[in-house]
Amino acid sequence: MEKRVLILGGGDGGTILANRLARRLGPDELSIEVIDKEGTHWYQPGFLFSAVGEAEREEISLCRVALYKENVKFTQAEVTKIDLDDRKVSLKDGSERSYDYLVIATGSTLYYDDIPGFKGGADHFWSFGASMRLRKKLMSIKSGRVLVGVGGLTYKCPVAPLEMVFLADELFRRRGVRDSIELVYLSPMGRAYGPHLLNKLVEEEMAKRGIELVTYFTVDEIDGKNRKVMSAEGDSLDYDILILSPPHRGSEVIINSGIGDDEGWVPVDKHFLTVKGYDDAFAIGDATALPIPKTGVVAHFQAATLANNIAADIRGGIKETFDGQSFCLIEMGESRASAQVSNYRYNIPPGLIPNWLFHAMKMAFTKMYWKYILTGLM
Amino acid sequence: MTDVTPTISIDARGISCPGPLTNLIKAYRKAKNGDVIEVLATDPGFKSDVKAWVERTGNELISLTEEGGVIRALIKVTAR
Repeated sequence: MEKRVLILGGGDGGTILANRLARRLGPDELSIEVIDKEGTHWYQPGFLFSAVGEAEREEISLCRVALYKENVKFTQAEVTKIDLDDRKVSLKDGSERSYDYLVIATGSTLYYDDIPGFKGGADHFWSFGASMRLRKKLMSIKSGRVLVGVGGLTYKCPVAPLEMVFLADELFRRRGVRDSIELVYLSPMGRAYGPHLLNKLVEEEMAKRGIELVTYFTVDEIDGKNRKVMSAEGDSLDYDILILSPPHRGSEVIINSGIGDDEGWVPVDKHFLTVKGYDDAFAIGDATALPIPKTGVVAHFQAATLANNIAADIRGGIKETFDGQSFCLIEMGESRASAQVSNYRYNIPPGLIPNWLFHAMKMAFTKMYWKYILTGLM
Repeated sequence: MTDVTPTISIDARGISCPGPLTNLIKAYRKAKNGDVIEVLATDPGFKSDVKAWVERTGNELISLTEEGGVIRALIKVTAR
């Protein structure tokens, strides 16, 4: 008799998992349903480039129904409750779903309230709408002070604020306004970026490009009316444009269902991705409480592991473990990028010299993403 | 002084750089003067990071110890 997998969330993790399962198992073995309230899928690294005018909507979005293999059912609906004990999921329309395997891939949500004044006071590029609003400002500013940095301390893609400061520098130079713009990077710690070897490269690059680094500046509150940002360390800075990572939390349904920690992240086994206390429920991607970067790459690797393990459970086979692997290409402008790779055991990333090849890989990945990654081929 | 009871505890064992420091900063944002934050960490870089952070932010490092590979920092919040 066929088993049933219910995948909550059609982002990178949920989509890759569904299509990988559909490639490995027939509809007589496994029925696959993906539920997500959003009908559009975004290539989220593209928001960085759309903010600086280098990517347009049609290059970084696709209608979700077009993404799935034919034996995957996509349902556009909002999940309101997850009951792990009764193996039951409730939808907003009042209907319910049962499952043999549940995969929570509900991602993260932006929680502006965590920094008073963020909404209205700061810009960001963690959604397409926000990136386009930011684009208007970046394209029109002629002089003043632009602050870029870490706002919310938990956020998707740890290197994104760094990439933005380098791309903003490049954009302002191209526009011929760089000399009249003070470009500043804000970091809550004593250096620009955590890992030391990579940080060395980043800080050298900042110095070379005239980007000022302000350390120990933990954004605590924003006064949008007076364009002033205050830190938990007691300092304040004026700005003309303030670009910060917005605070993130787990999905509302995780919080409402009582299955997450105090920020709504789901505790899971670090190797098998099972929700703590259950063997038929899993979480992948941003939704987990694992202390690893919240990136599409991590969701991708986790989806690959879980697809193998669900297939192995049904057909018999060897189960794999997720080893915490993460990989990230760090755009540094001027057609150069660095890269970072780590896992649970090897977590001191090298400082790879920025070069054209990594930049080319990053650009090529956008094309590969739709054709090979989301479809479960790679 | 090391038997001070923490009011906020952070278990950052197994988390790599800069996770333990980030978790401390997150807690600090919500803390008030007089709170004592305890951080447990295994990342060796945390020792120098926490010393530099305390010095720069003007809070008080009550103790910084290491036992069995686990670093324990006790920080009294005085600069909020």
